[in-house]
Amino acid sequence: MRSIDELCENSARALAQRTSRRSLLAALGQLLTGAALLPLLPMDRAHRARADEARPEALGPDSCQYWKHCAIDGFLCACCGGSSTACPPGTAPSPISWIGTCHNPGDGRDYIVSYNDCCGKTSCGNCECNRNEREKPMYRPSRNNDLNWCMANANVNYHCTVSVILGVANK
Amino acid sequence: MQQLPPRSPHWVYVFDQAFFNETDARVHLYDGDNYRRLGQIDAGFLPAIAISPDGSTTAVATTYFARGGHGTRTDVVEFTDNTTLGVTGEIVLPAKLSETTPTLFSAAYSADGHFLYTAYITPAASFGVLDPLHRTVLSEIPTAGCVLVIPSGTNRVSSLCDSGRLLTVTLDAHGHEASRAMSSPFFDVATDPVFVQGIRSTRGFTFLSFLGEVHDVDFTGAQPAFAPPWSLVGAAEKGVWRPGAQQVGAIHRALGRLYVPMHMGGEGTHKDGGTEIWVFELATHKRVARWPLQPQGLSRIVAIQVSQDAAPLLFAATDTANVAVFDARSGELRHVEKHLGQTPWMLLNP
Repeated sequence: MRSIDELCENSARALAQRTSRRSLLAALGQLLTGAALLPLLPMDRAHRARADEARPEALGPDSCQYWKHCAIDGFLCACCGGSSTACPPGTAPSPISWIGTCHNPGDGRDYIVSYNDCCGKTSCGNCECNRNEREKPMYRPSRNNDLNWCMANANVNYHCTVSVILGVANK
Repeated sequence: MQQLPPRSPHWVYVFDQAFFNETDARVHLYDGDNYRRLGQIDAGFLPAIAISPDGSTTAVATTYFARGGHGTRTDVVEFTDNTTLGVTGEIVLPAKLSETTPTLFSAAYSADGHFLYTAYITPAASFGVLDPLHRTVLSEIPTAGCVLVIPSGTNRVSSLCDSGRLLTVTLDAHGHEASRAMSSPFFDVATDPVFVQGIRSTRGFTFLSFLGEVHDVDFTGAQPAFAPPWSLVGAAEKGVWRPGAQQVGAIHRALGRLYVPMHMGGEGTHKDGGTEIWVFELATHKRVARWPLQPQGLSRIVAIQVSQDAAPLLFAATDTANVAVFDARSGELRHVEKHLGQTPWMLLNP
């Protein structure tokens, strides 16, 4: 399994901690435009599992209600042979993605989260999770979870989605 | 090949994205009078569906993989004869189709049926202009980040932009760009974005916003014209009740009625589906009915459509894949078809 965190988390977290949310997004956008190096933009599909459970902070990252999944829409890779940050065997992470801004009730801070699709097999079909906090329609693609973010992969088939914390969203 | 019976205005094309095994989407043709399936159109992976203006043909723009879930990707438009549901031909496309949840504007015909437009995202945005009669690709037109293909007249395509504007490209007789123009902004994506699932209206399309503003856009002229927006919700309801679904509204054009799945919820609930259907009179902007769904045993409504005849039926798909059939004038529930596909997220009629 390939960890998407290894791909981006350290550098992005450092970047985020040094910069404001707006400048972080601008920087990520520039990187995305130049080359698909960072997971940035994503994929949705629709309704279903809603985040209505009490005490979401008590739930772990394999649960749809876990805070960092606040703008995910798809199948949780943790239920498909991967983890909340790693693709299942035989699938490849999307180099482009969508992002969310999620509130961590544990430390009271907001974080920028990259939602990367894992690609190369048909939809996993397990642990569907549809959350749409601050999600925008597809004319704002970097915030849209309806697109197939496997679109730039060698195999564009969508399998599941991971949630990778990029850094703190400084106000 | 088996023929279908004569077409009825009470037929509806039920787009099933087959979310749990997305390489196997399909369209179910359903008869709202006899409550039976009439047949099926196969639709591949994350397809776009358009019915020709004369109702004779269904175009499916989709992606296939040579080995089922993997292998060489082929993007293609397949044409189905709506009298037999047999595939009659295809146009192979660049591997650029925008793969997304269903909208009316992922593929669309010109008003005279001579052009077919297909939305592309790679993630660079553009669209294809096709000749569905001669089954050829005519051109590809970049859209500078604006997305989807909103058709108007015989030769115009508008796309929604992040700035809240519409880009309108006018085509020449050969399907190439003749000119383009950008409209004024008509919504603010930061404060109250519009759903991309537009609703066909008398003179164009109506777009609803997340908070329930109604933006009616007149596409009959050379450039789109925006009516003053009005609201589905009163001051006390704003931000409390809101539209939400995969397909967020339907308009009966002759009756002048707008049907919207509404629910109570906050920011981020725009795909949650309606617990009630609200009915509005377009001429006065007045709400004329509220039809709660739970008392009728229905779960949330995620797609809605209305037939355009004088005795109209309202079709509503639920998040549990049932399709309810209502009398669109009285709200009387006539039938619930259980499990009409797996994830029926858009309902179409010619």
